[in-house]
Amino acid sequence: MSTEPAESVLPTAPDDGAECAPRPSRRGLFKQLGAAAAASLLAPVAARAQQPVPRGSSVRRATRAQDVGIPVHLPGLIDPVSGWNSTTQRLVHRVTMGATADELARAKRMGYRGYLEYQLAADAIDDSAVTAVVATRYPMLAQTPTQLYQVNQELIRAQLADAALYRAAFSKRQLFERMVELWTDHFNIYVPKVGYLKIADDRDVIRKHALGKFPELLSASAHSPAMLAYLDNTLSRRTSPDQNYAREIMELHSMGVDGGYTQQDVAELARCFSGWSLQGRGDFGFVPTSHDYGAKTVLGRTIAAMPTTAGAAGIQDGETMLKVLGEHPSTARFIASKITQWLLRYDPSPALVARVAGVYTSTGGDIKAMIRVILEPEQLMDAPAKYKRPFHFAVSALRATAPTATNLATVRTQLGTMGHPVFQWDPADGFPDSLEFWAGNLLPRWNFASVLANSNNANLRVDIAPLMRVPTADAIVAQMNTAYFGGKMTTRMREELVAYLTPAPTSTTRVRETVALALASSSFQWY
Amino acid sequence: MSDTRDQGCTEYNELSRRQFVTNAAGAALAAAVLPAWMPRVVLAESAAESRDVIVSVFLRGGADGLSMCVPFADTNYYAGRPTIAIPRPDSAQPNRAIALDDRFGFPQALAAMVPAFRAGDLLVVHGTGSVDTTRSHFDAQRYMEVGKPRDPSLITGWLGRHLATVTPMRTGAPLRALGLSDGIQKTLVGAPRTLPIADPANFAIGGSLATRDLRTDWLEGDYFLTQEPVRSAALDAVNTIALLRLIDFTGYRPAGGAIYANTAIGRALRSSAALIKADVGVEAIQMDVGGWDTHVNQDPSAGSMFNTMQGLGNALGAFHADVLGAGAYNVTVVVVSEFGRNVRENGSLGTDHGRGNAMFVMGKNIAGGRVMTFNWQPLARENLESGQDLKVTIDHRDVLAEIVKNRLANPNVGIVFPDFVPTLRGVTK
Repeated sequence: MSTEPAESVLPTAPDDGAECAPRPSRRGLFKQLGAAAAASLLAPVAARAQQPVPRGSSVRRATRAQDVGIPVHLPGLIDPVSGWNSTTQRLVHRVTMGATADELARAKRMGYRGYLEYQLAADAIDDSAVTAVVATRYPMLAQTPTQLYQVNQELIRAQLADAALYRAAFSKRQLFERMVELWTDHFNIYVPKVGYLKIADDRDVIRKHALGKFPELLSASAHSPAMLAYLDNTLSRRTSPDQNYAREIMELHSMGVDGGYTQQDVAELARCFSGWSLQGRGDFGFVPTSHDYGAKTVLGRTIAAMPTTAGAAGIQDGETMLKVLGEHPSTARFIASKITQWLLRYDPSPALVARVAGVYTSTGGDIKAMIRVILEPEQLMDAPAKYKRPFHFAVSALRATAPTATNLATVRTQLGTMGHPVFQWDPADGFPDSLEFWAGNLLPRWNFASVLANSNNANLRVDIAPLMRVPTADAIVAQMNTAYFGGKMTTRMREELVAYLTPAPTSTTRVRETVALALASSSFQWY
Repeated sequence: MSDTRDQGCTEYNELSRRQFVTNAAGAALAAAVLPAWMPRVVLAESAAESRDVIVSVFLRGGADGLSMCVPFADTNYYAGRPTIAIPRPDSAQPNRAIALDDRFGFPQALAAMVPAFRAGDLLVVHGTGSVDTTRSHFDAQRYMEVGKPRDPSLITGWLGRHLATVTPMRTGAPLRALGLSDGIQKTLVGAPRTLPIADPANFAIGGSLATRDLRTDWLEGDYFLTQEPVRSAALDAVNTIALLRLIDFTGYRPAGGAIYANTAIGRALRSSAALIKADVGVEAIQMDVGGWDTHVNQDPSAGSMFNTMQGLGNALGAFHADVLGAGAYNVTVVVVSEFGRNVRENGSLGTDHGRGNAMFVMGKNIAGGRVMTFNWQPLARENLESGQDLKVTIDHRDVLAEIVKNRLANPNVGIVFPDFVPTLRGVTK
C-alpha cells in the first residue's frame, strides 16, 4: 500500500542561503593577477575543496561513503534528495529516466504500489506512438542479418544509439527502458567489433527479456551471434577452445568474479561451449566439427562424453551448463546485487542483497519479483541519491524539455563528449555505474545543457514559448520549476535563476540560457 | 575462491572489478578510480628541476615499425617486401632511407625527426612491444594502456597510477594531466586532477561570450553546495577553465623556428608546448594518432603511410625544435603503438597485424642518437615469431619503467607496472 509519510524521514539539510560567505570567483582572481600569481593562489582553492570529514554521528554514513564512493553528506551541503519527501516522487525518479510532471501526477494518482505495478506491467502500457516512430525512423532495428550485413556500419551504429536515446526519452515504458540500459551494460557488446549483429541482440535478447526471468535472458545471450562473436566463441575449436566467453559468462554475466569458479571450470566450460557459433549472415549455429564431445567436469558437475557421431546433440553440454549457471546461488547473489545497486543505491546492505537473492532463488530469477522487493518504499526513502550517468542525464534533459525530436544525432554526439558513447564500451564489463567514474568531467554536461536548451531547428526544437507566457523572471522560472523539476526546485536555485534572468526576461536568448543553467545545475545531476 | 588470475600479490587478486575506492575525504579527485589494493604510498618529494613533463603519444592501429625504422642492411626485408620496402640509403631513388646507423634508417617521411636524432635527443627502440601475442586492436591497446596484459579487473592506466603515486609537480595545481580527447584515454584513468580536454584552447562553457563568465559563475555557486565528489569536480572544472583561459593558445609563438602543421597531431603538440611553457602544473599529456592500420596499399614512400608518418614526424620535429632543443624545458616524449606488422607484405600491398615494433623516446635527458635493439636477428623466416613477425625482444614496459623512475622521479614502478619486473635498458642518461 502506498502511503505518503507525514513528514520527511530524511535528515533535512538546511535550505540554501544561510551557510556560505560570498564565494570568490576563481576566474575573477585569475583575470586580475595573471598566470604566475594565479598559480600561487591554487593552494587556497585546493584547501577549500579538501575539507576533512567532520566527526559525529551524522556522518556515520559519510564514513561508509568513503569506502564505497557514495555521496558524502557533509553538513552544510545540500542532500540532493532532501526536497523529495514524497515516496511516489522518489519512486518516479528511480524508475524513470527523468521525472516529468505527467509521470509525477500519474504516480500520485496511482499511489506507490500502483505506479510500480503499472511500470512493471510494461507490455500493458500503450506505447504505440513511440513504436510507430521507431519503426519509421529506425527501420534497421527490425531487420535481419541478411538485410543488414552489407549496410554501412556507421549507419547501423547511429540507428542503434539514436533509437536507444529516443525510446529512453519518449517511451512510456520507463522502468523497462531503465532495465534495458542495465542489461545492455551487463551483457556488454562492443558494437564496432560486431556491427549489425547487435541489432538482433538488442531486440531478441535484451529487450525481449529485460523484465522477464534472468535465466532466460542469460540463455538468450549465450545463443546470441553478437555475443558469441564479441567474446570470440566463434573462434573456439575442439583443439583449442577459446576461453573468453566461458570466463566472461561466469565472471561478468552470472556468478560474478567471487562466485567460486576456478580456472579449471573456465577451461571445462569453454569445452562445453565449443561449437556455439554463427551460421549464414548471423544466425546462431551449432557447429559439430568444432565441438569437443569428451567428458567434462564443471562446477563439480560431470557431463558425460558423447560419441562424435552425436552431431547436433553436442549442444546439450552448453544448454546443461546454462541451466546450472542460471540456478546457481552465486548467480542469485550477483544478479540481486546488480539490480539492487542499479535501482536503489550504490551500497546496498548484505542483508538486503541476501533477501533479493532469496527472491531470485524462489522465483527462478524473476526480475519483476526482485524489483518489488528492492523498491519497497521504506528502503527507497532511506537511500541516498544516485548520480546520473551521461546517458541518463541527457535523456532526463530531453524528458524535461520535451523537445520535438526528429533527429537525435546532436544528442548522440554530445554523449560522446560526455564520455558515454553508448554501445562503444570495449571491455566486456560494460559502462560502469560508479559515482567516482562519472563525477569528474562536468564541463561536457554543462555544454550539453546549453546545446539542448538552444536547440531550435528542424532536428531538435525546445519550445520555450510555454515558459514565457507571463514574461517576468519569477513567472518564467516558476514555469521551469513545474515543467522540469516537478515543482521541487530549491528556494535557493529558484532565486539564483531568477537573479540570472531578471536583467532580460523577455529575451529568448536569456531564457534559453536560464534553461541551460537549470539543466546543468547540480540538483539535476542526481536522481 | 576464484584463482582465475595469475599468481600475483594476494591483495591484488582479491580485487573485485567494481569495488574501487577513492582516497579519504581529503582527495578532491576528478576522474580517479583507484584500486583498493594500491598501498597508501609515502609520496617522495622530488627535485622538480630534474623532473620531466611526459608527453605520451599512442599510434592507434598497429603502426608498421619496419617502415618507421627501416632495417636496410637486411636482405630479408627487401625479399619480404618487394613492393613496399624503403630503398637503402645508398640508393638513387628519392624515397631512400636516411641512415641512422649502419643497420637502420628513417624513411623520408620522418626526415623532420633526424635533427633530434643527430642531437642525441631521440632514441629509437626496435623489436619492442608487449609480451602478449593478441592481435586484437582493442585488447592490445588496452593491455598497453593499463600496463599489464590479460587482467580484466585492472582499469586504471599506467600513467594514471604514476600520477596517483607521485607528488604533484606543482602543489595545488588544478590540472595535473590531460587527455587530448573527448573521453579520458585508458592510459590516464586513475589520474588525479585530470580531465579529457579535446581542445585546451576551447575549454569553456559554450554559448554567448557576453554571458559566459556570468554563467560559469552561476554554476560555480550552484555546485558549491552539492555532494562530493561532484562538488570538487565542479571546482576543478571551473579552476581549469580559468587556468586554461590564461594561456594564449591562439597567439602562441613556437621557438626555434618550429612550425606546427594544422594536422590533429600538429595542433595537439602545439597546444602541449603552450601548456608546458606556461608552467601551470600540467605534468602529463596523452594524445592519439590514428590511421596506422595499413592492411591495404600501405605505400610508406609516397602514399597513405607516407602521409601519416610525415604528419607525425613533422609534429615531433617541430616539438623538438620548439620545446626540447634549447634545453630550457624538461620533457620526455614517448611514442608507442599496440603492435607492429608482418615482415612480409600481403597480397594487397599492405601488411597485417604483427608483433615487434619500433618505439620512440625523445628528451634532453634521454640517451638518444641510436637505435636500441636486443638480440636483433636477421628477418629470415626461422628467426621470426610464427614465421612471420619481428620478435618482441624488449618489453615496452622496460622503457617506460625506466622513464617513470629516472625522469618522472617516481620509485613506485611496481605499482605503475604491477606484476612486472623491469630490465634496465639504459634509456635515460
